[in-house]
Parts: sequence; structure tokens; C-alpha cells
Amino acid sequence: MTPDENTPDGENRRPGDGVDGTGARRRRMDGGTPEEPAAGAGRTDGATNPSGSATDGLPGAPLEAARDALAGTDFRALDAVVYGLYGVAMLFFAFPVLWIVSASLRPEGELLSLPFRLVPGEVSLSAYRQVFREGMLTWLFNSTVITVVGVGSIVAVSVPAAYAFSRFRFRGRRQLLGLVLLFQMISSVIIIVPLYSVMTSLNLIDTRVGLILLYVGIQTPFSIWLLKGYFDTIPEELDYAARIDGCNRLQTLRHVLLRPIAPGIAVVAIFNTVFLWSEFVLAYTVLGSERSLYTISIGVYEFQSQFGNDWRAIAAASVVGMLPLVTVFVALQRYFVKGLIEGSLKGQ
Amino acid sequence: MIRVATAGEDGPAAAGVERARGLLRRLVDHPLPWLLPTLAALAVFQLYPLFEAVRLSLTDEVLTATGTEFVGLQNYVDLFTSIGFRRMVVVTAVFAVSSIVLHTLFGLILALAIDYGVRRGLRGHLTTRVSVLLAWIVPGIIIGLIWKVMLVESQLGAINYLLGQVGVGPVPFRSNPALALVSTIVAGTWRGTAFAMIMIYGGLQRIPQRLYEAARVDGAGRWARFRHVTVPQLKPVLFVTVVLVTIYALNTFDLIFALTNGGPGRATEVFALFMYRKAFSEYALGEGAAVAVVLLGVNLLLTAVYLYAFDIGDEI
Repeated sequence: MTPDENTPDGENRRPGDGVDGTGARRRRMDGGTPEEPAAGAGRTDGATNPSGSATDGLPGAPLEAARDALAGTDFRALDAVVYGLYGVAMLFFAFPVLWIVSASLRPEGELLSLPFRLVPGEVSLSAYRQVFREGMLTWLFNSTVITVVGVGSIVAVSVPAAYAFSRFRFRGRRQLLGLVLLFQMISSVIIIVPLYSVMTSLNLIDTRVGLILLYVGIQTPFSIWLLKGYFDTIPEELDYAARIDGCNRLQTLRHVLLRPIAPGIAVVAIFNTVFLWSEFVLAYTVLGSERSLYTISIGVYEFQSQFGNDWRAIAAASVVGMLPLVTVFVALQRYFVKGLIEGSLKGQ
Repeated sequence: MIRVATAGEDGPAAAGVERARGLLRRLVDHPLPWLLPTLAALAVFQLYPLFEAVRLSLTDEVLTATGTEFVGLQNYVDLFTSIGFRRMVVVTAVFAVSSIVLHTLFGLILALAIDYGVRRGLRGHLTTRVSVLLAWIVPGIIIGLIWKVMLVESQLGAINYLLGQVGVGPVPFRSNPALALVSTIVAGTWRGTAFAMIMIYGGLQRIPQRLYEAARVDGAGRWARFRHVTVPQLKPVLFVTVVLVTIYALNTFDLIFALTNGGPGRATEVFALFMYRKAFSEYALGEGAAVAVVLLGVNLLLTAVYLYAFDIGDEI
């Protein structure tokens, strides 16, 4: 995924160049390019391809512009409505997060909303100190280990499987693919009842390895489907060429196919990172009885059952719990959006 | 002598390497080694637990007791005739239907607004989209807690404070049964709108531009283009969105677990929480498994609908 390939809308669009607006809609509708095959809902984050800008000036555009200019008043009213919507949406979606951050920074005596203000009168980290005293560092560590190793394992298991489903023709392939799709659609919540006895009989209860293996079982179906879509967009001629050059299948995968499917691997990694970091019910069932193994979700949940009415502390625990994902999200926004879109389309 | 020994060993070693290489080649030319880790993981962590759930649902297994007996379909009979189950189905239905309507509606409005903003070059569409998506990547447990803090039932809660300013409240957002359900729906919408939004936004981007141009040529105005191009073109995506939102809503657990834990009473106890309580609070594994199997059936049914939509929906 080259950074210049996929610019999120708005970043390269100047506010005010309104009338040419329709040009942005003319993006590639094909299945993708070899560098960036689109599996499913590929380019939905408003990529304006640099090379595609030539098509923006299609003959119809000046006429459209003129017509739109005529209907200017109509536009201005609609613009106002849309701005209003943006405001309401930002308030509804961002305010709770900002409020939690604000609450977590209040000094011990200050009440949550008396006086009502988003920026606390005095900033204090005492709530955070309390959260870290209760073991937040351990939870962060556990979640990080489980997420990193888990996502790595999921990728390591699903890439070869996706390759096999894309490149081999064997008996039962379609049925097996159907089964994988079925598992992808079935919610993991369903297996929590037998899970305890299953994990106990496998000696995996209260082990991080057990939870990681479980996540591999839960998350590979979606990952395989998504990656298979990427493999399918690569012409098999590429494989044949590599084979003639003396590569076996393993070498072909490593040296020839891995680069074109890298965006797919990134999507799989991003989506699974969000899932593994946030996952609660499976982690709670497998690790819930061993305090030293708590993940962030379990830790925060147990923390709030212990400090039920200490809103500042609960807010601080929540902030620490969501901060890593939010940071990564803000840093990698464009890849993230792509990952979330494709992932949710094919996943869960 | 040493040289002879080396030479003598060289032959078999080379042959061994050659044989290993041949074996490797034959292995990598067969699909099984590629699929083996996946098949093992699926068998152990998906198939086996599902079979175990079905088996458990036919027994009277209790977590704390030792002896279990096969009871046939007794758990299912008990379940379907119990008032608790029926009440849970109603709660789940209210939660699911509200979620479907609100997520899809808000998602549609936001997707259209952002699409419009992108095309008109309005400010703020990126920030809007980031705020909506931010809500989605917050872990479910933490979403429950965020709303718990927002909805504190005194002047200390942000929402109650604001309502107090206009002379309302304090509103018992979590201790009144009906309001508690509304609260879970609001928190669920806070999280789930992002999903519907990006699904529908993706759908908007895939509407061929030439359709709009053709409509323009035919003299269609803004509203006519929306009514006769956008809406029909968006239908398959909307359908798939609705099915997927339904699946999510029916399997919701962590958010409600943290926000109300099913309470007050059982007022917000949806499917997954009901199952969880049966199995892990009342230790009735058999009954809990029966609930799980029913939920599995619902999931399978919705999956069938989804796959059907996929076929007619022209590879969404």
C-alpha cells in the first residue's frame, strides 16, 4: 500500500472548491490494481487517484458547474443542513469520549459536573495513579502480548490457507470454503457455554496461549476469506513464471505473492488488532479467574465492579484502555478506515 | 583415513538432503499442509465447542454437580415454556429492532452527508467521520463504562446535568426498566452507527457515475436523482447492512454487560446475557447450552439470508 495511493478525502481537497465536487466521485470502479487489489469494498475512503484527475475534466463538467451555480441558493440551504448534521454528529460521537477524558483528569475533590465544564479547573493525575496501582500495567502488558502474538499467529495461519484455497483445486474445496464462511458468520458468543469445559479438558484454561489459540480459531475464517480475495486478483501466470524460474510453491509465495497481497495482510492485521484488543467475553471465560492474566477489558471491568462509584477512576481506566487503539487509529487513519471497511464487510 | 571417512559420509548426507528436498517439494504441492493449521484450529475451537454445546443442551449438566444425565429435549421444552425466556425474547426484539432502525438510519444520513460534503468540499466531513469511527473502535466494555459515567443518575451525570438545566430530571437512566433499555440502545447506536455508515458510504461510492450523468441528461433534478438512482442502487447494500446489524445486535454482550448487566431486574437482558446468566450464575450448563443452540439457529438463519442477499446483491 503506497501512501500516495490512498489519500483520505478531504486531505487533498481544498475547502471551497465546491462546484467541481462531482469529479471526486469518478474513482476507479475496477477490481483494483496489482499493487492494491480491492477485495470487496476496496476503495470507499474517497481516494482521489492522482492519475485519475485527468478524467475529472470530462466534457460534462463545465456544464454541470454552470447548472450548479444557477442552483446556488438551493446548495447553500443544503450546505447549512449538512453542516448542522456534522455538528450534531460530532457532538454525539465525540462528546462522551471527551467527557471521559475530562472526568479522568479531575482532582479528587472536584465533582463531575458541578460546575459543568469540559476542561477541569485543575488537572490531576491521581485517578491514573490509582488505576496503575490496581495493576493496569499488567493488563496493558497482557493485552499487548496477546494482541501481538495473536495477530501474528492469525496471519501466519490464514495466509497459507488462503493461498491453498486460491491456488489449489482439490476435492471438497468448495464445501470447505463454505464451512469456513459459516464459521465466520457464527458469533463467538455462542461457544462461551461449552468453552470452559473445552479449555479445561485441553489444559488451556488460565493460559495466554489458550486464549491466543482460541482467537486463531475464531478469527481465521474471516482472515482467510479476505486474503483469498486478494490472492484471487493476482494472475496465476505470475506463479507459473516463478515456477519456471525454479521456485517451489513456498518460495513463490514468499518471493512473488507476498508483496502484492501485503495490503490484504495489513487489513487483516488491523481488523484483528481491534478485535483482539477489545474482546471481552472469551478472554473473561478463559482468563477471568487469574488476576495476573487479565487483559485490558477484563481488568477495566473488574476494576469498575470494585470501585463502583468512583467515576474518576473508572474514567481513567477507560481512557488508558482505549488510548492505545485510538492512538494507532489516529496515526494510521487512512489504512484503518480501509481495514475496518473491508474487515467488517467480510468479517464477524 | 579421515578423508575416507568424510567421503564415505558425504554420500548418504547428500542423498538425505536430496530426499528431504524431494519430500518438501511433494509436501508443498499438496494442499493439506497449507490447510492443516487452519483445519486443526477450526476443529478444536469452533467445531468441537459447537458439538459440545449441542451435547450439553441435551443433558441436565450443572457446573457444580458431578453426575449428569441425558434428558433429551427437556431443556428446550423448559426454555420455550418459561416466562423468563419469552420476556428475554421481547427485550432482545426491542433492542434489535431499535438498533436496526437507528443504526441504519443514522448511518444512511451520515453517509449521505459525508458523501455530499466530500463532493462539495465542505469543511468538517473528515472530522465527523473520524469521530464516528472513533466510537466504533472503543472496546465494548469501555463503551458500557463511558455511558455509565455519562448517564449517572444525579446532577453529576453529564446528560442529567444538561437535562437539569432545562428543568428535567434527574432521569433514572439505568434504574428505570424502560429507560435502561433505551440507554443500552443509545449506547449501542453510539457504537454501531459507524458500521452502517461505512457500509452505506461504500455503497454510495460504487454507484456508477454514468447513472447520475444519464439522469442529468434526462433532466432529473437533485431529488429525482436521489430517488431514482441512489435509492434503488443502494438497496442491496442497505439490505446486507440490515442483516449484519441484526446479527450484531442479537449477539451483543459486552456493552450491556458493563452498562447494566441485564438489569434492573431482567429489563435489559438480551439473548447472550440470558445465556450467560443461565450458564455461569445459575450454573445450569445444560440450559445455557440450549439457549446457545437456539441463538446458533438464529445466527444460521440470518447467515442464510445474508448469503442469499450476497447472490442477488451482485457481490456487494
